[in-house]
Amino acid sequence: MFNKDNKLERLKDAETIIGASIKVKGNFHGQGDIIIEGFLEGSLKTNSNIYIGDKAKVVANVESKDLIVNGEIRGNVKTKNYLSLGSTARIYGDIQYSEISVSRGATINGQLILITDEKKSENKKSDISETENVENIK
Amino acid sequence: MHVYIYDDYLNKNKYTKAINRMEIRLTDLGLNGKIIRLGGIKNIKGSIQNEIKLGAKTIIAVGNNQTINKIIGAIINTDIYGDFQKKTLLGIIPIGDDNSIATSFGIKDEEEACNILLARRIEKIDLGLVGKHYFLNQATIQSSGTKLDINDYSIEIEEKGEIKIINLLSEKIKNIKSNPHDGKLDILIQTKKKDQTFITVDALRVTNESEKLIIDGVLEINTPVDIQVMRDKVNVIVGKDRLFE
Repeated sequence: MFNKDNKLERLKDAETIIGASIKVKGNFHGQGDIIIEGFLEGSLKTNSNIYIGDKAKVVANVESKDLIVNGEIRGNVKTKNYLSLGSTARIYGDIQYSEISVSRGATINGQLILITDEKKSENKKSDISETENVENIK
Repeated sequence: MHVYIYDDYLNKNKYTKAINRMEIRLTDLGLNGKIIRLGGIKNIKGSIQNEIKLGAKTIIAVGNNQTINKIIGAIINTDIYGDFQKKTLLGIIPIGDDNSIATSFGIKDEEEACNILLARRIEKIDLGLVGKHYFLNQATIQSSGTKLDINDYSIEIEEKGEIKIINLLSEKIKNIKSNPHDGKLDILIQTKKKDQTFITVDALRVTNESEKLIIDGVLEINTPVDIQVMRDKVNVIVGKDRLFE
């Protein structure tokens, strides 16, 4: 969805757009690409990609595949694939990433944790065992 | 058998030419059928239901959005709905103003509508449901002071503007695609600051203490009110230039 210059390549294809004058409160979980230009408080999660605009404020834990941040996040961030922090990005929380790009001027106040291939496979294994446990319980 | 339901406002002289053009075209195409004029009928629901019982294969709304809503209102949630869904198609011949539903289905005018009836391109279409009222196009409300409750989250809007809860797009909107047979509703919020919000949902609750929700541009409803979508409720004959895939 995104190129590495922090620009949206397929903005028109985003399935969810939260405009600048919108306040969202609660657990906002989607399947497709999400663009946040307004305010969100709670949690933000998708299997696809998230773009946080420069005027946006997100007070939530954020989880996605690719994530581009130009605004503010107050919460922990987990990106399975690529994280890009623009020059106006401000993150107050821990960051888990596989690949990262940080522009000059970006603010990070938290730990940076690299998700290695081993960790990824561990996560996958634990996901499987959790599923097995659930099946056993059933 | 085709059954044409003429709305009562078509009795006015200014529609005579359009009606004549339509009837000539229908005759040319061999699409003649029974005509029911709503102007002279007290029991509209009973008349429409009776035609379906008698085996009408196509019910054609001749009029505008309200005509279509009257027909749908006469059929949905009644004993004959099962027969209607299995055996009967809904056709539309738009005449006059307030025809956004026909536009959505790619039907521009009465003559084109006749050709579309002949081609019989059929789509299963969802219906939006607000309380007890069904809608094809959309429900709208002023955005300022409106709260939307959706699953685990809520949305609040203070800016002036409009919220559209869309089942079927009534006009082309840049970058917005809405599908009337996906079992979903699309929420489009456009404020006067020209920012746009777009979310797809299964159901929602709308609350605004001072503004009413308007469905298909006709009916006003007080809030709070729940809105949901009923999947594949109506088989509609549509044009190839419809505003959805």
